[in-house]
Amino acid sequence: MRLIIILLILAFSSTLEAEEKKNTVYKYKEYEVIDLGSMEVKGQIIAPGDLTVNERERKVFKRSLLEKNNFDFENKREIENLR
Amino acid sequence: MKYLVTTFLMATLSMSSTAHASAKAAFEIYKKDHSRMRNKRIAHELIDGQFYFSAIPYINNFLEENNDMDAELESDIETLVVKTGTMAVLNLDEKKLESFSIPSISLILGTRLFNKEQYDKAFAVLSKIPETHKFSMEANLIKGTIKNLQRKHIEALNLYENCAKKAEQQEQSGSGEKLKRYYTYLKETCTIRTARVKIEDKKYDEALDIYAKIDKRSYKWPYILLDKAWAYYYLKDYNRALGLTVTYKSPLLESYFMPEAEVLMALSYYNLCLWDDAMKVVDHFYSDYQPKADALKQILGQNKKSNTYFLDLYYADPKTREDLNPFIRNLITQTRKQVKFNLDLASLKAAKDELALLKRLKNKNDFTAHLEENLDSTISFISSKINFYIKKEIFTFINEIHKHSYSMFNLKLELLSRKRDDLYNAKPDDKNDRNRGSEQNINRKVTQYFFDFNGSFWADELGDYSFGLKSQCKENTEETK
Repeated sequence: MRLIIILLILAFSSTLEAEEKKNTVYKYKEYEVIDLGSMEVKGQIIAPGDLTVNERERKVFKRSLLEKNNFDFENKREIENLR
Repeated sequence: MKYLVTTFLMATLSMSSTAHASAKAAFEIYKKDHSRMRNKRIAHELIDGQFYFSAIPYINNFLEENNDMDAELESDIETLVVKTGTMAVLNLDEKKLESFSIPSISLILGTRLFNKEQYDKAFAVLSKIPETHKFSMEANLIKGTIKNLQRKHIEALNLYENCAKKAEQQEQSGSGEKLKRYYTYLKETCTIRTARVKIEDKKYDEALDIYAKIDKRSYKWPYILLDKAWAYYYLKDYNRALGLTVTYKSPLLESYFMPEAEVLMALSYYNLCLWDDAMKVVDHFYSDYQPKADALKQILGQNKKSNTYFLDLYYADPKTREDLNPFIRNLITQTRKQVKFNLDLASLKAAKDELALLKRLKNKNDFTAHLEENLDSTISFISSKINFYIKKEIFTFINEIHKHSYSMFNLKLELLSRKRDDLYNAKPDDKNDRNRGSEQNINRKVTQYFFDFNGSFWADELGDYSFGLKSQCKENTEETK
């Protein structure tokens, strides 16, 4: 008997919830105005005011041309060819 | 004439009978001796009978199992080193070789360690060779090279000078044409090394004086042209550097390919501010060496697994050789001039002769069969070693071309940049006013010959050409003349 009553109560409450959901109406804002002029950022300006660049000489890249600092390659080969 | 023929026949017969007697004695030991000295005794008898290559496995086997060394064994090993080169102790690893302190093994071990770049160890091993021993010249050359590589130039110079001095003494007192030639080769190698150290120390004039000691007929002479050209280049005598590098284009030196000489030629023009001439050399380098490198790569790729292809090329008949790319033909010619190649080739011939002699022996038995089997494998080993050597030479040459292509590429960029600067600065008038070949632009010492290069080569003038180009550089014109 108790079990029947509990089941009836549960069934009744879920029916009520479904009815409530059906009646909900959602509304959205149609438009929003943002006034940029009135916006303000708080803080200190640390960027330099003067943006000019100092004149400097243009870097000339020198390519490494062949230098003969030693004869290691030739000397080693000579030993390999000795006997 | 009859006397000569009789003497020759007698000598051949006596040699053959000695060989036969020693082979018989070796067979007796092989059959009866079962002591641990057996291999040593067999090797000694074979060496006595001039079966040097047949003795190698027995010496190797004995040394592998024993550490005993006596005067007879030492002398046998030394004979084998002289007659067969490094093959005498081929199977022994470095650790085993270290346990023997005799000059012949120290030289082999020292060379092996040097080639493995274990320089300190190699130096210590080579230092065991007494200064009075005949291998001390080679030892000093290798030790000098080690000090040279470690930039200890004073020590390197001492060792090189010592080597040159001793080789000269041996050259004068030595008997036999081949041996004399070998000592001349050693003397010149050590002399050139001294000059190279001077260049590394920036003492270019001193280096040039040393190079002047090398005779024009010397085997080493074509190689020193490039060294000398570098010395003149650093002395800012670019015209002499050009004159020396152009010598490689002479028909007499056509088998000498020196990609580095092309780079030096272009650099000399560059330093004379002759951009167009330098650019021509750069372009010629790419058009000339690129097909050569491709041809070599192809031939290497096709025959990389063959153990005989490159050696067969050496033995090929003139018709087959003619069909080859002339460049490959010339490269083989150049390889034939290397000492190691010639020594290995002589070893191959000697081993083949020895096999023929063995096959002619009347009494065949399991011992002679064993000797023949060993010799067969020795011959195929030497053949594949020579084949590998030629392959390695070709490979090194391709790498050289690639290395210098990079240098040429950098130079080309620099040249383009200089030409662009000239265009911006509007100096086109220089081109038309170029004085090519005035004697005023040549630096010359009293002891120096001078021949202006007019596009033709004369054998007696080789090595003494100088260009007479006027530097087109706006600054330091006098200095770079």
